[in-house]
Amino acid sequence: MSTAAMHAEHHHHEEHHHHESFISKYVFSMDHKMISKQFLITGMIMGMVGMIMSLLFRLQLAWPDEQFSILETLLGKWAVDGKLDPNFYMGLVTIHGTIMVFYVLTAGLSGTFSNLLIPLQVGARDMASPFMNMLSYWFFLASSVVLLISVGVETGPASGGWTVYPPLSALEKAMPGSGLGMTLWLVAIALFIVSSLLGGINYISTVLNMRTKGMSMNRMPLTIWAFFFTAILGLLSFPVLLGAALFLIFDRSFGTSFYLSDIYLEGVGALENIGGSPVLYQHLFWFLGHPEVYIILMPALGITSEVISCNARKPIFGYTAMVISLMGISFLSFIVWGHHMFITGMNPFLGSVFMILTLIIAVPSAVKAFNYITTLWRGNLRFTPAMLFSIGLVSFFISGGLTGIYLGNAALDIQLHDSYFVVAHFHLVMGSAAIFGMFAGIYHWFPKMYGRMMNNTLGYVHFWMTFITAYLVFFPMHFMGLAGVPRRYYQFTLVKEFDVWMDVNKLITVSAIAAGVAQLFFLWNFFYSIFRGKKAGTNPWQATTLEWSTPEERIHGNWPGEIPTVYRGPHEYSRPDREEDFFPQYIPDESDLAQTETQKTKTAPSESEVEETESASVFFAAIKRVFGLS
Amino acid sequence: MSNSSKVNRIKDQQPAVPPARLNLWLFMLASSMLFAAVVSAFIVHRPDAEGRGAWTAFDLPVFFLYSTIIVVASSVTAYLAQKNAKNDELAANRNLLLVTTVLGVLFCISQYLGWQQMIRLDLTFVNARPEDISASYVWVITALHFVHILGGIALLIATWISAVRLNVHKKSMGLMTITHTYWHFVGVLWIFLYLFLYFAQ
Repeated sequence: MSTAAMHAEHHHHEEHHHHESFISKYVFSMDHKMISKQFLITGMIMGMVGMIMSLLFRLQLAWPDEQFSILETLLGKWAVDGKLDPNFYMGLVTIHGTIMVFYVLTAGLSGTFSNLLIPLQVGARDMASPFMNMLSYWFFLASSVVLLISVGVETGPASGGWTVYPPLSALEKAMPGSGLGMTLWLVAIALFIVSSLLGGINYISTVLNMRTKGMSMNRMPLTIWAFFFTAILGLLSFPVLLGAALFLIFDRSFGTSFYLSDIYLEGVGALENIGGSPVLYQHLFWFLGHPEVYIILMPALGITSEVISCNARKPIFGYTAMVISLMGISFLSFIVWGHHMFITGMNPFLGSVFMILTLIIAVPSAVKAFNYITTLWRGNLRFTPAMLFSIGLVSFFISGGLTGIYLGNAALDIQLHDSYFVVAHFHLVMGSAAIFGMFAGIYHWFPKMYGRMMNNTLGYVHFWMTFITAYLVFFPMHFMGLAGVPRRYYQFTLVKEFDVWMDVNKLITVSAIAAGVAQLFFLWNFFYSIFRGKKAGTNPWQATTLEWSTPEERIHGNWPGEIPTVYRGPHEYSRPDREEDFFPQYIPDESDLAQTETQKTKTAPSESEVEETESASVFFAAIKRVFGLS
Repeated sequence: MSNSSKVNRIKDQQPAVPPARLNLWLFMLASSMLFAAVVSAFIVHRPDAEGRGAWTAFDLPVFFLYSTIIVVASSVTAYLAQKNAKNDELAANRNLLLVTTVLGVLFCISQYLGWQQMIRLDLTFVNARPEDISASYVWVITALHFVHILGGIALLIATWISAVRLNVHKKSMGLMTITHTYWHFVGVLWIFLYLFLYFAQ
């Protein structure tokens, strides 16, 4: 139901809100704020599962010959005599990647903050379609449940890596995880794509169409720009993954050969049908896969922009450049997927095109890093936990981004492909940076979500432990990768040349466990603060954006009265002409008031003017609205 | 009285475009990307001139041509239905919606007969000859479009029921406009797919 329709209906059914039941308020809620909490909590649960999985396979890598009896208790036949089964190890790696990429850093991050902030920061009562928004969450939850069930099936979960390349994923006989586990993986991802599209359509529609008076595009907070471009990327790339998944389902379950070529298992032809191309899958997959990297990262960048500007008490340096760089990254993300496929036998000329386009991404990325640093430069810094996590993001974005320049180079990638260097690169630039952005967002907007503050001391402990351990886990992997250590191996230290890395493996695993412990501080802080945290008030950070104009009581519809009008850009901090060091978007100054008064005293339009306005096409009205023309 | 009920009395600025209509356009964009992916896979899979032997090129069933004619006719009737609704010609609107729905069903029947024709030529969805992968693609593309047509027919029926209840008229064009737009989309999509499959093999 559209917001407009919702309001019309409310006029007739005013008592609608009076008797909201537990089910309609907390379970099948259509309030974007509640849906954002549902996404967050589900994302956090999935994040814990993904992290525990990583600790399990890290144990195997650090102490491959040890027996941990607790593993047998927990995992049964997948850890006979306390030793992790190789097939289950592959399953853990696969599901860890799937959960972290899709369920935590796509739905958990974008789902939470797009839902929470888009209506609040653009000045809308709710999303364009609250019903679709609710469906988006329930598809996500169903998808999460199916994926978790897949871990428990008899033959184990999908095990061919999170990219599920055929033929490993297409042939049920290829490995145990290619059976029911893989089928459930595909079902889960299909549900996830539906969820993502329902959400994305709503985000774009709300940003374009539902902004309050005065909120022209160039006054939107950078969070909104980031969510907007993220939603566009999702809208254009997830359907392609759906196409890829459909072909895979047909090959697996119907007997076609879109991806399958001549394959022999134990000397016997595995298939009646041949002639397919597994590389075709890679093209389709990475057409989503690369934009997916930015679907993960851009919301975190948007959150960081807001948090850094607010806590440096300065306007963000180069607002327009930030928007253009987001646009540039979004555009380029669609034409660089080939850099994941340099070693597939690609024509070297085509490879060089992909390489150049990939390296160009360094330009808008550098603009962003530069602008974060220059915003911090000589700022009146407030080191809140959110600010620390944002600065942490900038650190990971730079240190992880630099290695992207190595990997984007086709000649170097031949050596580094599928090595630990790649694992180090994306865990820093995409994994750690995005999760730090997510933490920044949680600490910063927790008061808006729950009306209470999180504990700062616990926040600092959480930050420093996570920051240090993240580097301890991922930085050494660069050197392993440079030495040629391949990723996804059950026990690579059996290879003579690689056994020198055993001690490093142990360091990484101990650090990973410490990182896990750090998250317990966060979880305690989060749940304790929901109930016992200090009351936050309406604008605890003295921020300028529209969400802080809503009352403490969180109501469906956001503002009890009229939606505020917006008078200026989103980062008016430390203006020399103001006493306070922040000037909210929604508070008029004298000239704004005079202008409003003039508009009120304007004579009523003539009949012909009214007719002209009514007959003006919706298209032009939309264009005017989009660009904020009056 | 709770704050939330006070909200209802406030008249908010209305969105420039009805949200449902904008959502539909975005859905159509996403849907187009799905077809772009499948069509691209077809192009990538098709061998170049040297490898032509590994690819069966075949004449599309004649029923697919009939489907194209039907879908063009249904687009015309959908347009007229919309026009009549705008002019408050409610009876004509209802009848034209019904005609469009019937044409939609005829399109489905024609597609079904086209698939039967392919089966008779042994161009099945699953087949043992690598060169007949071209037929598998035709099946996937036409079936995906078929699903979209079913959605369109459901919308047409919903709009027709709404029209029978006198809920479609000059001042209540929301559902009618959405149905009309979507039906043109699936029509244009089919024409593109037909021409693509006709020429690209």
